[in-house]
Amino acid sequence: MKDPYSVLGVSPSASDEEVKKAYRELARKYHPDNYQNNPLADLAEEKMKEINEAYDAVTKQRAGSGGYSQQPSGSYGGYSQQRSSSSSSPTYARVRNLINAGDLGTAERLLYEVGQKDGEWYFLSGSIAYRKGWLDEAMQNYTMAVRMEPNNMEYRQALAMMQQRGGYRPAGSYDSSAQCDPCSAYLCCSCLTPWGGMCC
Amino acid sequence: MFGYVRPLRQELKCRDFDLYRATYCGLCRCLRRRYGALAPMFLNFDFTFLALLLWQPEPDFSLCRGRCHANPLVKKPMCPDSPALELAADESIILAWWKLKDSVQDESLLEGMPARSLSALLYPAYRKAAGLRPEFDRAVRSSLEELAALEEEQCPSLDRTADTFARLLRAAAPEEDPRSRVLAQLLYHLGRWIYLIDARDDLAEDREAGRYNPVAARYGPEGDDEALKLTLDHSLELMGAAFQLGDFGCRAPVLENILYLGLPLVQRAVFDGSWSQIKKQKIWSNRR
Repeated sequence: MKDPYSVLGVSPSASDEEVKKAYRELARKYHPDNYQNNPLADLAEEKMKEINEAYDAVTKQRAGSGGYSQQPSGSYGGYSQQRSSSSSSPTYARVRNLINAGDLGTAERLLYEVGQKDGEWYFLSGSIAYRKGWLDEAMQNYTMAVRMEPNNMEYRQALAMMQQRGGYRPAGSYDSSAQCDPCSAYLCCSCLTPWGGMCC
Repeated sequence: MFGYVRPLRQELKCRDFDLYRATYCGLCRCLRRRYGALAPMFLNFDFTFLALLLWQPEPDFSLCRGRCHANPLVKKPMCPDSPALELAADESIILAWWKLKDSVQDESLLEGMPARSLSALLYPAYRKAAGLRPEFDRAVRSSLEELAALEEEQCPSLDRTADTFARLLRAAAPEEDPRSRVLAQLLYHLGRWIYLIDARDDLAEDREAGRYNPVAARYGPEGDDEALKLTLDHSLELMGAAFQLGDFGCRAPVLENILYLGLPLVQRAVFDGSWSQIKKQKIWSNRR
């Protein structure tokens, strides 16, 4: 296993507070929300696992050495949980599996054999387009999906993700032009600026 | 390419600015050494970014000094030759040649004369570069052919036309790099972004000339800046997300500056029309 301190990017002499801060910044960076339906989601998940393990190792080590360590607040867990989503037909279920496995060509072919286009058809079509990087088409398909089934939360979430920005940005001057949404504003204000205050 | 990929100097640390400039000068020297005195005219910011991106991660960099091509009386700090620099140099020659060939075809006999003679001069360099990077050469050729066909048929899909250039740029990363998936995703969206920004920049000109423009084909002759911005921002975001997953060593800060500050600034400038002014500015001088 890699040295947990180098994974967190802090020196072994760093204070507990510094370790925690570094961990939080990394957790914010690799948070699965930033990699939803992203073709690199598995790499982000690996990173997340690595930093979780490193943080756990450091807190355990420090607690064991009888230092002034606080009760470890627990690392962010449960990220590998799959969001449950159900398909209305076996074909759609197969398409979902293919998309998750990254086999977009087969998924696309299978989907085009479906005759009746319903909300889920457009949603899956949008997911395939998104994975390919065809963002405009993804947006159009998600819009259609929501129009056909306005009450489906999964489709609405996918569309909302296309319409608002809110991914990770490095702390510091990079935030100046970013629009502040309440969620990340909370994070910035609480812990993520070098001076511990507001950043935007 | 087009010069859209540049850092925001005011926000660069001195050492990162030195690194950027030395990479630019190093790429110039690399082009000259490999392809002769004419080659540095194809030097640009986009391929400087590519060299920085593809450079194998190092914890620190060291610079050497070399004679400047534009002014041989002065010596400037330059980064040493490296596989990434050579790759960027070869690829910029290949792309420059195909783009020249493209414009020769587009223009009439008389208008195409400068491009025609330039491409004749560049041909030996192109042959050498294509021999060294046959895969990239094939990728550029097939992508540009596909793009020409889509433009011919007035393709209404923004993504389909942008996809050709995005795949072209994705082919610029070597497959054997351990970061290949990260680089492929980043370069795909960079290519998409460059293509669409360029299309937006040409919107008015194409409208007057009656030429095909992918932004006009999708949103109508006036374009739709709000919708276009949304999709461009999303590409920028996906570039950032990919970037965070790769190891870029000491080059991470300057790359981060380009991705998170440089590109959004250029995008805003293209949208509000100030780009034609900014384009001409040298990054090196301190004037704004």
